[in-house]
Amino acid sequence: MKKKRDDVLVGLMVVVTVTVLVLGSLWLARGGLSKGYPLYAKFPWGAGLKQGQPVWLVGVSVGYVDDVKLKQDGTLITTFRIQGDYKVPLGSSATVVPNGIFGDAAVALTPKGPNPRSFNPGDTVPVGPSNPGIAALTGKADSIATSVNAITTSLQRELVAAGGIRDLRNALAGTNRLVTEFGAIAAQQSNQLTATMTSVRRITGAVDPAKVDSVVGNLQTASANMMAMSSDLKATSQKLDAIISKVDSGPGTAAKLINDPGVYNDVRALLQRMDSLIADVKKNPKRYINVKVF
Amino acid sequence: MIAGPRSLFYRIGQRAYFARDIGRALADAKTYGPETIRQMRNIGVDSLPLAAIVAAFIGAVTAFQTRYQLFNGVQLSVVGLISRQSIILELGPLLTGLVLTGRVGARITAEIGTMRVTEQIDALETLAYDPVAYLVVPRLLAALLMVPALTILADAIGVGTAFLTATVATDVTPQAFSEGLRLAFAPFQIVYSIIKATIFGGAIAFFCSYEGYTANVGAEGVGRSTAQAVVVTSVAILVLDALTALLLAPYLQA
Repeated sequence: MKKKRDDVLVGLMVVVTVTVLVLGSLWLARGGLSKGYPLYAKFPWGAGLKQGQPVWLVGVSVGYVDDVKLKQDGTLITTFRIQGDYKVPLGSSATVVPNGIFGDAAVALTPKGPNPRSFNPGDTVPVGPSNPGIAALTGKADSIATSVNAITTSLQRELVAAGGIRDLRNALAGTNRLVTEFGAIAAQQSNQLTATMTSVRRITGAVDPAKVDSVVGNLQTASANMMAMSSDLKATSQKLDAIISKVDSGPGTAAKLINDPGVYNDVRALLQRMDSLIADVKKNPKRYINVKVF
Repeated sequence: MIAGPRSLFYRIGQRAYFARDIGRALADAKTYGPETIRQMRNIGVDSLPLAAIVAAFIGAVTAFQTRYQLFNGVQLSVVGLISRQSIILELGPLLTGLVLTGRVGARITAEIGTMRVTEQIDALETLAYDPVAYLVVPRLLAALLMVPALTILADAIGVGTAFLTATVATDVTPQAFSEGLRLAFAPFQIVYSIIKATIFGGAIAFFCSYEGYTANVGAEGVGRSTAQAVVVTSVAILVLDALTALLLAPYLQA
């Protein structure tokens, strides 16, 4: 009886184990028990495909890579297994895309748009342009690193070995000195300006605004007086001008006195006689001055 | 020194003779056949609760710790990937082997050792029974079959509890964990786990049976043999684990 029970328990455990093994492996490898229908694609060598990788239709996992066969013409004949309840629209293209950060890949089926017609089991899906994977990006990064290294080497040669950095340092030191001198000059100018402004402020502060107002008022009054005086002078000048014109050309007495040379001669003769008279008076005063007292 | 009973070569030679005896005994199916089922029950069915508990906790801890080791920006499906790889490739077979060393290996040594010190093995020989075919081969076959079975179940339980822990106790979604579980999966990973478990099962049965078969006289001799069996088998499992990884890990490369 006990032996029979042992047999049953061992058999049960073996069955459970085999079931778990088969179902678990299928679930991990396919995502389900259904094998799905096949589709094919021809990828170029080096696409990074292997059995068990997922197949996505617009981002949804719809199957897995069932087989990858290497052909000597440079292609990989890839078999997909698509779950039966998913249809791949006609016009879709298959591309190998990176899956995660560990360099794994997946096949992405990308339709051009909604299409009621779909690929039949056994059809070949055209291959679209592949996206750069981790390896391609790493290669790009490697070439960039090489370029950067070459640039660094050139800079090192030019700046360090050829003395470029020393020249730059000298130029910077000269510029620094120049700036310092400019600074000193500016400081000196600033001091002088400050002193000047201080003096101006002091002078300005010493001026009494009331006096200034008074002076300005007086100046304004003087200016007005000057203007009036100037006006009077102008009128006077005009009158004098008229008089002089009249004297110069007119027949009056003054004009004759000024313009007639005979008068001059008469006056001169008169003055001469006056001189001789005065001299005679000085010489013989008694002749002309006869003072009698009593 | 080299030829003495404590030398390494002497010990290896003694175990080689024991392996030869096992090979000879394999032809005696009538003797070990009926006993094998009973040993499968003892080694496999009776050890299932312990192996399941260990696997459950290991899976939960692995998923939980993996989630909190990820820096920002890493997709959470990595938790499923790392949990699967850790449990199936390493923790499942190794911990199952070490746990069974304590539970099954010690029992094998104690049983056979007791029979040795009580002269039951001599009685078997007197009755024209091959003691190796009757005592060792059933245990060896049972271990070779049931330790992989226990490991498969432990892997499944470990991954299952990892799934539950990650989705219930952390922010990993069931979809993300499932994606990680399936990412870069290859059936050879399961085969690798089974290969390891088979090797560990063979090591447990072989080393523990040998220690019991060569136990010294008296209860103290049985106790010493049992302790030595556990130590030797544990070390052997770790060494075999490393050798297996060295030989087979390149085939695991995704």
